[in-house]
Amino acid sequence: MSKSIFSKIICCCLILSVVQFAQAQKGKFDFSEEKNVYNQIADVPVLTKDGTQKLSVLYSRSPLIVALIFTRCTGICSPLLLNLSEQISHLHTDPKENFKVLVISFDPRDQFEDMARMAKQYARENDPNWIFAVTPQISELTSSLAFNPVWDEDRQQLDHEALLSGINTDGYVTKNLIGLRDQQAIYSLIKSINNEFILSYPLPGNNNFLSCFSYDPSTGKKSWSWGMFLLVLPAIIAAGIVTILVNQKKTLHHN
Amino acid sequence: MSLQPKLLLIFLFTAGAIAITAWFIYSTSKLSSQEHGGMENPLRKRFTAFIILFALSAVFLSITIPKSPYFRFSGENPSHVVFIAAKQYNFIMSNQAIDPKKPGGGEDIVIPADELVEFRVTSLDVNHGFGIYDSRGEIVAQTQAMPGYVNRLRWRFITPGHYNIFCLEYCGNAHSFMRGSLTVTEAAAEK
Amino acid sequence: MINLSLKRVTSVWIIAILVVFVITAIFGITMRFNQGGDIELSPVTFFSLMTAHGVTMVGIWSVAGMMAVNYLMARYVKVSTAVNVFALVLTVIGLVMLWTSTFVGYFHAGWTFLYPLPFFVAWESWATPLFLYSIAIFGIGWTVWTVAMLMQIYKKYSLAQSFAWQHFKRGYLVETPPFILITTVSLIGILICLITAVILLVLLFAEYYSNGTFTNDALLIKNLTYFFGHTIINEALYLGVATLYELFPEVSGRPKFKTTWYVALAWNCTLVFVLTAFFHHLYMDFVQPVGLQLVGQFASYFASLPSAAVTVFSIVILVYKNPIKWSLTNTLFFIGVIGWIIGGFGAVIDATISNNFVLHNTLWVPAHFHTYNAMGNVLFSLAFFYWVANEFAGTKVVPRSEKLRIGLLLIGGFGFVLMFYIAGAYSIPRRYSVYPDELALGRNLASYGGWFATIYVIAILLFLGEIVNKCLKVFSPRSSAAA
Ligand code: HEM
Ligand SMILES: [Cu+2]
Repeated sequence: MSKSIFSKIICCCLILSVVQFAQAQKGKFDFSEEKNVYNQIADVPVLTKDGTQKLSVLYSRSPLIVALIFTRCTGICSPLLLNLSEQISHLHTDPKENFKVLVISFDPRDQFEDMARMAKQYARENDPNWIFAVTPQISELTSSLAFNPVWDEDRQQLDHEALLSGINTDGYVTKNLIGLRDQQAIYSLIKSINNEFILSYPLPGNNNFLSCFSYDPSTGKKSWSWGMFLLVLPAIIAAGIVTILVNQKKTLHHN
Repeated sequence: MSLQPKLLLIFLFTAGAIAITAWFIYSTSKLSSQEHGGMENPLRKRFTAFIILFALSAVFLSITIPKSPYFRFSGENPSHVVFIAAKQYNFIMSNQAIDPKKPGGGEDIVIPADELVEFRVTSLDVNHGFGIYDSRGEIVAQTQAMPGYVNRLRWRFITPGHYNIFCLEYCGNAHSFMRGSLTVTEAAAEK
Repeated sequence: MINLSLKRVTSVWIIAILVVFVITAIFGITMRFNQGGDIELSPVTFFSLMTAHGVTMVGIWSVAGMMAVNYLMARYVKVSTAVNVFALVLTVIGLVMLWTSTFVGYFHAGWTFLYPLPFFVAWESWATPLFLYSIAIFGIGWTVWTVAMLMQIYKKYSLAQSFAWQHFKRGYLVETPPFILITTVSLIGILICLITAVILLVLLFAEYYSNGTFTNDALLIKNLTYFFGHTIINEALYLGVATLYELFPEVSGRPKFKTTWYVALAWNCTLVFVLTAFFHHLYMDFVQPVGLQLVGQFASYFASLPSAAVTVFSIVILVYKNPIKWSLTNTLFFIGVIGWIIGGFGAVIDATISNNFVLHNTLWVPAHFHTYNAMGNVLFSLAFFYWVANEFAGTKVVPRSEKLRIGLLLIGGFGFVLMFYIAGAYSIPRRYSVYPDELALGRNLASYGGWFATIYVIAILLFLGEIVNKCLKVFSPRSSAAA
């Protein structure tokens, strides 16, 4: 009786650990992602299809993933949005973990109409979880996110990082993602803006196949890796040896 | 009183009680004679003793588990982040993220009291420990610095003053000399 | 059957263990006086001593348990002297390699040689592989020995009987002696941690010989390291408890201990939980999943509490208001149990995550494990040595200096560990060769600890003389004639 309760508790704990370990493994890591964590985002007015409102009105309703883009971009902007849109549609998030995506332009040439066209392009114009917006106070916004686009004369383009900033309901940046990231990374971003505290995360290593859990960014699958197996292996081998020893007794007995 | 002296007192008290009980039991074994020997009702007593012990450990577990450092401050927003890269034999501490490929010299860390700080601790070589000591030389908080991983330790300092950092994982022959420090200032007036 | 060759190899073991123990304890005293500022060693010397002290102590008290269990097992099943001698030879070879690596090669990565420290070479470059090979040699000898002993047990008992499962039901035919139950549980535990050591060594050698093409994951290696290190030192203690169950009633002139359902349950608990208790070494590694941390605290409580409680209660019932023939043997066992539970209580305090936050890697850690080793397991083994030496010599003398020896042992031993506990509670870190000025309190405590430890070693020396003399009797021509 009591033994089965013990084993249930242990099972629960083990499952919990698997989940958490998977969270710890967030794929590639760029130290500059940490530049402005826990800074507060500037409370600028934003123009959305619901009219002009303060950013704080938006984030206090639900945490935000902020994507900074501009519509004339021929570089990273559209892959960034496509990837985000794709990854989110495959996510099975907890209903507790609500969030909205705020796509906001940092190009003064962009009007709200440009953004509305963009929303249509990504088939998100009627999606209540996607907000497309412009703001008159671009520089306040970008500097509060430590986002520094530079004007590239040759290409007549703004050169910039593919940045996703996670903003929680208090308006703090809890996490940034730089580059096109996998589902696991997006998921950890969502967790962090929902104020879920993850105690630790890995740095990129040369060799991860012997860690306790592994995550393959190319297939997006996580699996028990050899490492965890190595921790249970000794008990399995010992059980095997004992089994052999036990059977040896029987054969002797019959002779 | 902080936690450590309490634990020492609990320990010494219990150890003393164990020793006295043992002495008492030992002394009964000399006086008695064969006829009046033995404990009365040993089965019942043993049962009661086990129940008490089991209940005590269950109480201990349920009181202490929620106090584990992993769950503290987890729902709050830290107002400061301090990055720590430990290496043989010093701590690089900075308010900015530290590039593991070009770790600089770091800077002095000043934190206001009563505000939540998050330490992001990693190691550039072997395992180290990041132990924060107050001015009386008592550990207030700690986490390990493991190469390849970043551990996040959240803490709210109450008492302003000078805090020492000592390495709490054996990391080589100068382990005893590996140290750092930080300053906690008076709480900001408003807030 | 206990034959002369078994007696002889047991004698050699005892003499070797005691001599090595005294030398290694002197390493410890030297460290304590260095921490106290009474003498001045270079940090390299200090940490070489520390590394040698740790591995040697864990090693000799593991084999002391194995060797005692092997001797007493001969009462129930056949045992192989050849394997016993094999283990002895490999242990001696391993020890020579170990001390060469630490004292000639100055290897000093600590007894846990926590990855990646062994590869940050600050010593002779050959010392790292030599150290790792010395661990491998110990591992081979002890694995063979463990399997051989288990083999003998399973020639007589079935799997269920070896774990005393029949005691959970009413009406069983075969009784499993507590000695066999505890021995089986401990030997299987030892087998598991030796296999873990093999995996650990394979991973380390793979990195060592791969020239940088293969690197290990620090978290995985830390888990494996403590799986091995923590578990083996605990199982070694349980071997000592097995000898206690066998000998304590016998030398006290009381009926033998019986296996009952709760004894069986307690030791089955130990078998399972001791394997996950090591997670408490990683409490401050926040990268370890929280689930495993909680398993660690839970397992730490339930690995030791049931078996300790059952043992203590059995002893209390046996002793309380009963006429006991007290001799040095059962007195040592009795004190050993006290040391075990006091040390165990210190361990439970530290195995509680919220306490570990301020106690982790302070001297509280050496405090508790020295309590249940120096004042627990060592005394269990010493009781066995003393008993068996008198068997060998055919004597039953009660020597005059009994009170003196016990008194010195108690004052020296408990005084020595008390200094560790106080230092731990005052946040003095473990594994510091000297203490910084802010933690100057650690220096005085270290000095006092050194003096107490000296008293303890004097007591051990008083035992050593008598035990060695009596053990040597089995080599006299008279005893071979008698056989
Ligand atoms: C009189 C006897 C002993 C003395 C004086 C002694 C002293 C010491 C000292 C000073 C340390 C270093 C503490 C530190 O971290 O600062 C130490 C560590 C240690 N001792 Fe002992 N000890 C004794 C007996 C034992 C026994 C019986 C064991 C049995 C297992 C043992 C096992 C260890 C281990 C495993 C370490 C850890 C080494 C490391 O950190 O790498 N000691 N001892
Ligand atoms: Cu260090």
